[in-house]
Order: sequence, then structure tokens, then C-alpha cells
Amino acid sequence: MDPVHASILPEVPGEKTKIGTSLVDTAAATIQSFGPTKQIHQHLCAFHFYADDMTRQVEAHHYCGHLNEDMRQCLIYDRPDADARLIGLEYIVTEELFLTLPDTEKPMWHSHEYEVKSGVLFLPGVPGPVERKDLEKVAKTYGKTIHFWQVDRGDELPLGLPQVMMALTRDGQLYPSLAKDVESRYGVSFEKERANRAYMEGPTHGIHPKANAAGIGLKTVLREIECKPSVQSESVPRVFV
Amino acid sequence: MLHTPGNLATNHFSKVTSHPVKTSLHQRQPPNNRLQFIIPNQGTKTKNHCCSNMMASSDKAPDSMPVGDGSVPPGKPMTMGHQVVDKTAQMLQTLKPIKQMSQHVCTFAVYGHDMSRQIETHHYITRLNQDFLQCAVYDSDEPTARLIGVEYIVSDRILDTLPPDEQKLWHSHDHEVTSGMWMNPGVPEMNQRSELENMAHTYGKFWCTWQVDRGDKLPLGAPALMMSPQMVNMSVIKPELVRERDRKFKISTDEARKSRVNFPVSKPGNARVADYWMHTGKSFAVDIEQVEMKDLGGQKIPSI
Repeated sequence: MDPVHASILPEVPGEKTKIGTSLVDTAAATIQSFGPTKQIHQHLCAFHFYADDMTRQVEAHHYCGHLNEDMRQCLIYDRPDADARLIGLEYIVTEELFLTLPDTEKPMWHSHEYEVKSGVLFLPGVPGPVERKDLEKVAKTYGKTIHFWQVDRGDELPLGLPQVMMALTRDGQLYPSLAKDVESRYGVSFEKERANRAYMEGPTHGIHPKANAAGIGLKTVLREIECKPSVQSESVPRVFV
Repeated sequence: MLHTPGNLATNHFSKVTSHPVKTSLHQRQPPNNRLQFIIPNQGTKTKNHCCSNMMASSDKAPDSMPVGDGSVPPGKPMTMGHQVVDKTAQMLQTLKPIKQMSQHVCTFAVYGHDMSRQIETHHYITRLNQDFLQCAVYDSDEPTARLIGVEYIVSDRILDTLPPDEQKLWHSHDHEVTSGMWMNPGVPEMNQRSELENMAHTYGKFWCTWQVDRGDKLPLGAPALMMSPQMVNMSVIKPELVRERDRKFKISTDEARKSRVNFPVSKPGNARVADYWMHTGKSFAVDIEQVEMKDLGGQKIPSI
């Protein structure tokens, strides 16, 4: 199927924000501290595809912060703009942390070596030498990405179930039109960067065979269950104190 | 309102493979190419289905990890060199979507599959328009806070446009707001009023991807669907959690509740099925299953 470009996606339904509402928002923003989000220090652009469907590929703008040297957490938007939609999140860990994950967990995580070394993962606006200092580390990491909003199929709202996402692992997967679109919008050349990054290395122990959905696919499924604890157990609603 | 099919600028829908049912929601393309959610017939099987292999479930404890030094997440402190690289990059990038976050809200949520598990949450909220907000959700307001999920918020007007199978995943906010649990720390109550009145008419969809309260050192397993505090049963938030929150932020949930008692609340339409558990006694868990991946050549990658 043809890839969808972020620039032509439909609008989120709803009325324009009223002046009164936005004034309150602005006031709140000046008074409150934003501890967790102040840690977000990096914008990283890459591509994801659905873990059960490689034909659906999405441009993903990651806004990342470090929890420590070994872990980052990222908010993912569909564009790097003020009105961008928050479509998912990604956690990034070093190889050392990845190897401590249970084997049943590892398939949900993907490697970053190919994305970095091929040049398709980049830091918009950051000059090559600075960018590479960080991406050397990223090349050895693994990520777990969940998307909640399937903008590529035209959803105007975040409908349905969370989707496990995967990352590119070899040449021939990324749609050339998507690649060219990103390259021209950001004035980058993946091929040039590939040459610049040839020195980089992936995980020390090689890409784990269980990573990247263990070579198969993953799908989320909803299951209806009885409420726990049982809602039948109390016939009278408890009043909140 | 949602666009009618004719207004969609593009029509790039993936060909969807059906999956067998326990009670999975799947998407099927109706003739006008607008994806809708339906509950498939029980017992339906398709030729594309391979034997599913459950990797994880949001309502089941994950396999164990090394204990380490107990820190969550484990890991070394940031090196000085790394901090310098980060700061350099940060000065060169604009981070526009992050700058749009205009509110910090502290509230509570319960796990849909186990309402005895209740957490304090910190939402960092961006309003996209009068009817829609998106929130990055953390487990504290500290710089060390862990990103535990995402919540989307829509007005009741928008919720009513969603099909029933979608509405079941959403929860109301009127009790959460009028009870005083939903708070903007640091903002005087009267300054919050108009925003709160708006929020009382909204519905949320909250996926939790890191069950820190369960002891997970890293974000393990499948995303969990969260529900909102209500006046009913186990979704009533434990008083000690509220007291602790109030103490930390020097606020009074009780005082807030008194000042919000006359808020106009949403009048539910007959067809509204949000807060599904309250009507049916049933909730939802999410499973992650191994399936065949659709690859680019149209060939299925064979199962191992």
C-alpha cells in the first residue's frame, strides 16, 4: 500500500479553542512547574511500522528525555509542529538493560542498529558531528514502541487498541517515497549519513534473536473480563468521603 | 464532528487480516472504506490465521527480572559527557509539541482489570481544540518521573459520535472533577474554574504502558486500560491516597469538592456506553499475541 505523508492528514474534530479556555491554559503554564517534561531535551525523527503489518509505515517524531544513562522515554508525535498529535510513546534502553528483560518481553522490543547506521534516524537541526556523538549510543539500544493513534489510516481520533510498533532492520523495507519526502523536508541525505556512520557499531552481543518480534509479528487483542473485585459484592454505592 | 467518508483527503487503509475471536475487536472495511469497529461473530476463523501465541497480557504479572539495586528503572547515572551532548542538541532544536503543554493536572486512576490498584497520576496536557486534549501521563511531578502512559480527552459531544465498541474504552470525568480529585497544583481554585467546568463534561481514554505500582522495573507487558474514579464500589479512591496527595501539594480535595458541587454535569445520551464496567460489571484486558506479519511482498513470513 502507499505510505501516507503526515502533511496531508485530516484535522482533529472539534471547535477552535475559545479565548477564555486558552487564557486559563496560559496562566496555568506560567505558574506550574513541569518537572518531567522539562527533561525532554531531544527531537529524533525515525520511522515505525505496525508489528503485524510492515506495509503500514509511519513517520515518528520522538521527543526524548533520559531517566538515567541507560534509559530514555519518548513521546511520539506525527509532526514536529505545535498542533502535532501525540500518537504514541517509546522507551529506549541500553543493551545491558535489554538483556535483563524476560524472554517473553524481548519480542516486543526492537533494535536500533539499522535505523541509525542507515541514516534514516536523525536529530533534526543538529549538526552531524554532535548528532553522531549521541547516535553512536542509540545504535546499541533497543526500543519498545506503542502507538495509540493510527493517523496513517485516516483516524481523526485515537480509536481502537494500542499497537505495538517495530523499526526497520534492513535495506528494502522503507518506502522510497517516504524516505524522499523526509529527506527533502529536512534537507538531509540518508545515504550521506550512512557513509558518515559506517564506523558505528550495534549491540556488543549482536542483535538478540528474540528482539524485533522474534522475526514474526505481534498483535494486540482486547479481552472482556469480569470486574475484579466483583461489582456484585456491594449493592449500595459507597459515598466518597 | 467526525468527517463523513467523502471528506477524507486520503484513503490509505491497510488490508486488514481478520483474527479469531475470543472477543477481539477487529477492523473491517465496509464498502465506503471507512473503518469501523465491530464485534466479530463468535467462532469465526479465517484462513490467514495461524495459531496465536500469547506473549503478554495486561492483567497478568510479567515474568521476573533481576532484582538489581532496586532502582526503577535500573541504570547508571548520566555521564557528564552525555549531558553536554544533550544540552548542545537541546539548544539547537525547538521541541514545539512539548512547548504546547499548558497544564499540569494531578488526579487518580484505577486499573480497569483490577480496581483495587489505584494510582496517583500526573498529566501534562495539551489542548488541540475546544473539544480535544492529549496528555502525557507520569507517576509523579518530579524530574525523575516515569512516563507511564497517554490519556486522550474528548468532549461529550465528540464521544457521542463514536461507535459503541469504541465508547466502551472511554471513561467519564464528571465525578473525578466534581469530587475534587482532579487538581491543577499551584493554580488557585477560582482560576481553574472555567477549565474545570469544561473538563467535567469530558471523557478520557487512558492506556498505561508501565505498571510501576506492580513493581515493574521497566515497562513490561501489554498496555492496560485505565478507568476513572467513580462513586461506586472499588473505584472509590482510598482516602489515604488522597490524603497523601493533598499533603504533598498542600491542597484540599475536600474544599475543592465543596466549591465544585454545583457544576453542571453532562447529561448522558441513551446510547452512551462509556464507563462500561459500571453498566455491565465487565472490563477489559489487552493481550499481545504472535501472528504472521504482513510483509511488503504480500508474502506471509512463515511462523517459526
